[in-house]
Amino acid sequence: MALLEVNDLRTHFFTREGVVRAVDGVSFSVEIGKTLGIVGESGSGKSVTALSVMGLIPQPPARIVSGSVVFDGRDLTKLSNRQLEDVRGRQIAMIFQDPMTSLNPTLTIGMQIVETLRRHLRLSKQQAHKRAVELLEEVHIPDAARRLSDYPHRYSGGMRQRVMVAIALSCNPRLLIADEPTTALDVTVQAGILDLLYELREEHQMAMILITHDMGVVAEAADDVAVMYAGQLVERGTSDEIFTRPEHPYTEALLGALPHVESASVREERLTAIPGRPPDLIDPPEACRFAPRCPYAGLGSCSTVPPELREIRDGHWVRSAHPASERAGAAQEAGVT
Amino acid sequence: MAKFIVRRVFWTIPVLLLVILMTFGMMKAIKGNPFRHTEHNIPVAIQKNLDRQFRLDQPWYIQYAYYVKGVFTWNLGPSMLQRDRTVNEVVAQGFPISAEEGGLAMLFALIVGIPLGIISALRQNSIFDYTAMTFSNIGFAVPAFLTSTLFLYFFALKWGHFTGFPTFGWSGFHSKVLPAIALGLGPMTYFARLVRGSMLETLQQDYIRTAKAKGLRWRRVVGVHVLRNSLIPAVTAAGPLLGYLITGSFIIERIFAIPGIGQYYVTSVSSRDYTVTMGLTVLLSILIIAANLIVDILYGVLDPRTRDQRA
Amino acid sequence: MSTTDRNASFESALLEAATAVKVHDAGAALRRSSLWRDGLRRFTNNRAAVIAAVAFLVMVGFVVLGPIVDNSNPYYINYAIAYQPPTWAHPFGTDEFGRDLFVRTALGGRLSIEIGIGATFAIMVIGILYGSISGFVGGWLDNVQMRFLDTLYGLPYLPFAIIALAIFGTVNFWTMVVALSIASWFTTARVMRGQIISLKENDYVRAARAVGARWYRVLFRHLLPNTLGMIIVFVFLELPGVVLGEAFLSFIGLGINPPQASWGSLAEDGYTAYATHPYIIIVPSICIAWLILSAFFIADGLRDALDPRTRETREG
Repeated sequence: MALLEVNDLRTHFFTREGVVRAVDGVSFSVEIGKTLGIVGESGSGKSVTALSVMGLIPQPPARIVSGSVVFDGRDLTKLSNRQLEDVRGRQIAMIFQDPMTSLNPTLTIGMQIVETLRRHLRLSKQQAHKRAVELLEEVHIPDAARRLSDYPHRYSGGMRQRVMVAIALSCNPRLLIADEPTTALDVTVQAGILDLLYELREEHQMAMILITHDMGVVAEAADDVAVMYAGQLVERGTSDEIFTRPEHPYTEALLGALPHVESASVREERLTAIPGRPPDLIDPPEACRFAPRCPYAGLGSCSTVPPELREIRDGHWVRSAHPASERAGAAQEAGVT
Repeated sequence: MAKFIVRRVFWTIPVLLLVILMTFGMMKAIKGNPFRHTEHNIPVAIQKNLDRQFRLDQPWYIQYAYYVKGVFTWNLGPSMLQRDRTVNEVVAQGFPISAEEGGLAMLFALIVGIPLGIISALRQNSIFDYTAMTFSNIGFAVPAFLTSTLFLYFFALKWGHFTGFPTFGWSGFHSKVLPAIALGLGPMTYFARLVRGSMLETLQQDYIRTAKAKGLRWRRVVGVHVLRNSLIPAVTAAGPLLGYLITGSFIIERIFAIPGIGQYYVTSVSSRDYTVTMGLTVLLSILIIAANLIVDILYGVLDPRTRDQRA
Repeated sequence: MSTTDRNASFESALLEAATAVKVHDAGAALRRSSLWRDGLRRFTNNRAAVIAAVAFLVMVGFVVLGPIVDNSNPYYINYAIAYQPPTWAHPFGTDEFGRDLFVRTALGGRLSIEIGIGATFAIMVIGILYGSISGFVGGWLDNVQMRFLDTLYGLPYLPFAIIALAIFGTVNFWTMVVALSIASWFTTARVMRGQIISLKENDYVRAARAVGARWYRVLFRHLLPNTLGMIIVFVFLELPGVVLGEAFLSFIGLGINPPQASWGSLAEDGYTAYATHPYIIIVPSICIAWLILSAFFIADGLRDALDPRTRETREG
């Protein structure tokens, strides 16, 4: 049974200008100990999805309109905030994109780790302190014991993100959601954080949702991949499948937009940027949302009927009227190296 | 940290000297030796005596030097008009009263204003929020003399039997309530709006989202994470608020007939008792400088980031 | 944090106004026109600001037109009709001497607002001069000026105004203006300096210097015009303060004297009669509050309207 099952999740923002349908029908599942990578460009709804799972969307403008988030058999959307507080940090943990602003500048690092430990695990101050030192060592912060009493501004960006990881892992959660954990970091530091995540994932037997717009990251880390566009899930499958036999035109474009370092194929040397911009989510078209930018649109129903998510192969789902394997001349089109 | 404090304290000295100089200069510029303009005719010999006693026959810089020495030894000289009193005595009599009045006003402002701001922020855009903020805006714009007079009229005059508030004086608990509230109303609205704004801003911050994601109880998130960061700006407002309290006390003490510094100041100016005026002005300056100093230090203590900058 | 830094961060509302009205880089003249038009549009879309502006104009209209419309003589003493409640002939009633309060309030308003505008103007001039010189020249002069400014913060505002009036001996429009402004220009100076310093770094300034523009051209043609927005906001922020200051001074008897009236002195008249006629103090006080609130919300609206950063950008 899946650890987390998200079913047709819809999260809408009710603003003065209209209803922003940030997440409009997203379904996926995460198995115990496996890693799901969610990819998509800015504004595709990946972060809102993650926040919806955690119940952290700002309630006045936003609301989960429909759908379910079943974790370990319980639907999180039906829980009260107090009950969710018990789940967060303990069963499901989350780390965020910008480490520079994610830590409270007026509390010591030690305090911010210890308060989590004492909240969920009921440790005494000494026990919590000891555990905090261990955690910092686990994330390779040198001189951990002394560093506990430092304030966040004394830490570099990379180190702060490590601290975030330490905090997230402190209560041994079953699932870790990492929302673009490396985007705000230097390239050299990125690798370090990712390695850290892999290492700890193994050790703690933890499931992970890795949200990113970087296909390269996903290729390395994820077992399964979900591709999001304009608030919807457009393709889903195992990492292998997605990378070797992408179906959705958007996925293909994303992969095409990856600079190929060693390529013997006939692909162009230029990066294939995808022309156009994602649709406005306030009144999304009652049609395929990718149609305006899709090279295969116009062949029929694309601008009138929204395509459904369907299983095109075993475990490989696509929301498109023109997936790669169904196009005319599919053999030549799918000429991936 | 200690170095920071020492340095800050050190800098207050030239500030104080300069302020005394300016006060002194201004007082000197006021035309009219008080003794020449009084109603009684003072014989020339006595006048010369008085001149010598007050050192009015010396060049100005000598007078200044003596005065500075006086300030630092806390001897502000004799009152020019009330021959049997020294300025120190005037201060000793009026200052405790005004200080208590200011203190109570601040207390009121803090006790009512801060929670008001906190609750308004947590219940943003609710009826409570709108009411509280409207009330704050009105409280801030309406001049102190109106609120004081209305308080006086209704609570002391008309309904005095029920409330027990007298219409003048400063003795006993009852006489202190109305002035304290009247004086503290302005600062209260200031704190309410400041805390509300600060909290709203803090609530948007990423680290609050992190705190929630850690599963901390909301009470703790607000109490520890939000408040800590929101209340810092409120602290730094204390300095200028002292200025407001001083200004306000002039009005309040007049209306409620409280024998404090504010009243003495006004009477000393109109009766040309310049030593008193000067002494009180210097005193007020010292208070303001001290308040600024304390706030600076407090800020350093509260915000770890500035602490390290100054280390 | 030095007093300089801390005072700067305290005056957050005012400082925000200043930094918020920072102007973008290249092409000073071209951008300026669109900024104003843009700002006007945004201002008119702001309901609170428009209401405040209307209220402000109503008050100005009252003080200007009131005495013309109602031609009762404000100085005519007639004990027979003393202390009358509002009637058609005397919409605000009469005072202890039987003088019509409607006209007196309007005339008092004229004086109060005139003094307010005068003092605000003085504050702006002093503050702008001090601040721009400090910011523009920089270096040791800036240091000295700022240190001096720090010391000035130690002066109590009202007492110094009182002393200034005592020095002048008489109280009239000019002396009030000076007295109220000597201890009030510090914030403006500091904020102005901040603006100039940040604007100095802009590319178009460097460009101007690169083609050999003299300093006065840079200052007057490039830097100052771009601070105009912030200055206007500040005018509306400082005005209430000085009007209230004048009112306070007149109330304690050290300001405007009879038979001239200002809102403050009228309030004082009302106060002395509070035991028997508590409502007399209400009218001039409400006028003051009216002015303060409308000016404040106008300043708020202006700040939002002229801040390019808060322009709406929609993200998918």
